Amino acid sequence: MSATKASRIGEEIWKTRIDKVNAELVTLTYGTIVAQLCQDYNSDYQEVNKQLEKMGHNIGMRLIEDFLAKSGVGRCANFRETADMIAKVGFKIFLNVAPTVTNWTSDNNQFSLIFDENPLADFVELPDDGRAQDELWFSNILCGVLRGALEMVQMQIEAHFVSDVLRGDDTTEMRVSLVRYIEDEMPPEEE
Amino acid sequence: MSYYFTILSPTDTPIFNIAFGTSKGGGDGIARFRFPDTAQYMNQFIIHSSLDILEEAQWTNGGMYLKHIDTYPPAAAYISAFLTPSGARFLLLHQPPQLPTSGSSSVLGGSSLLGSSGSTTRASSSSVAANPTSPQTEEAVRQFMNEVYESYVKTAMSPFYKQGMEIRSPVFRTKITAAGKKWL
Amino acid sequence: MPVYSFYIFDRHAECIYKRRWLPRPTSIAGKSSRATDPQAGPTGLGQTVKAGDDDAKLVFGTVFSLRNMVRKLGGEEDNFVSYSTSQYKLHYYETPTNIKFVMLTDLKSPSMRIALQQIYINLFVEYVVKNPLSPIEHPGGVGVNNELFEESLEQFVTRVLA
Repeated sequence: MSATKASRIGEEIWKTRIDKVNAELVTLTYGTIVAQLCQDYNSDYQEVNKQLEKMGHNIGMRLIEDFLAKSGVGRCANFRETADMIAKVGFKIFLNVAPTVTNWTSDNNQFSLIFDENPLADFVELPDDGRAQDELWFSNILCGVLRGALEMVQMQIEAHFVSDVLRGDDTTEMRVSLVRYIEDEMPPEEE
Repeated sequence: MSYYFTILSPTDTPIFNIAFGTSKGGGDGIARFRFPDTAQYMNQFIIHSSLDILEEAQWTNGGMYLKHIDTYPPAAAYISAFLTPSGARFLLLHQPPQLPTSGSSSVLGGSSLLGSSGSTTRASSSSVAANPTSPQTEEAVRQFMNEVYESYVKTAMSPFYKQGMEIRSPVFRTKITAAGKKWL
Repeated sequence: MPVYSFYIFDRHAECIYKRRWLPRPTSIAGKSSRATDPQAGPTGLGQTVKAGDDDAKLVFGTVFSLRNMVRKLGGEEDNFVSYSTSQYKLHYYETPTNIKFVMLTDLKSPSMRIALQQIYINLFVEYVVKNPLSPIEHPGGVGVNNELFEESLEQFVTRVLA
């Protein structure tokens, strides 16, 4: 399936099948969660990143079912198709953004998502304690969401941010790597 | 015209201060108050002393922009105020480069607060600078306040900002400076 | 059009939900009657025989093998839809997340693929996956056997499919 076709599907589902909620509500809710985590972990940003990723993982494992139910799409033929599906359908219907898929490695196992806009990070300014700018990945929950969602469709991946406009970088970029395809599980042997 | 702008939290904590000069009519945007450099606290003193008047003025109409509410004649300092619904107060002190000639000459000589730097500022031709109580000035200040309000709301929406905390965001400061340049 | 039974298997090959309506042909049901399965849903209409885990395991083994065989012969994209015996017809639907929906009906029933898909989209996702109190995975069927899901399933089977 081509990227343009994926865009069309994403657009169509976004228009017809998605309940919309106020963007500020989402932004403030997510911001509050991150701020609270920073407080709970005494600004140990490594730990905050980890917790966000974990929360995202739980969300992703549920969200994928909703994604499949709403989109009705089948299995992707290859990882390139998966990338387009994530960017043009997944992000589109859940956040109404469509990050650019780029920077593929030659083995087609790694790509980058470039976010022109990020609704989670509106209004956000990182704490000016001299460390948050270097350590906190504010939107790290998204990495977890991708990992959880793809795990459910038999792909083990690794995702992390490599740059974020909140830190003063020019772009917000997430790197996604395919680790392996997960085999079907067999029922446990009878004793 | 020189400006001193301050934001007070609903609980009377000063959370933001900035001093700047006019950029209209060839101004270079640098504040030149007629106080000696050692008396910069005078700005804060004058601006905070207008809080009582603000508390009375806030009930006079339903608007957030209260226009010019107070004058401190010895320093020719004019205070304009803007009140957010949540109780934060934006106060702007403006001091014309030279004292208006009419009616205030008596205080001119009597004030020992005025430093010598006032004589070096050039007279500005813009109406904003010329008359701090003119409708044009009130309108310009209103535009400025509205823009500050917008930036203030965005800053307050940042998850890492807590109500009543000092605003340290460089982005906010840049925006205020820009708004000052644009309208004042 | 009678529906005999309905099963959901998760990606760990575990039966996370099963429900029976009418007794199946005695030749199958009689064999595997054991202790009552605590995870089975509330007793349905006309339920006479309580089966243990065994039938679920047998069903899983069957559809798992059939699905693998079909893919081997017809390619990755191919999927088996149903099979019939002289007594019943088994309908199969699998989501890309490897959740398998199985329904046993009588022989005259038309394809239930759409119906199973509807159960997934409108019932399973809505009432089980999106229920924030339900766990993400459902070991032993935890979270699937909630009232909303069961009642809606009951309605769907008795009213829509009947």
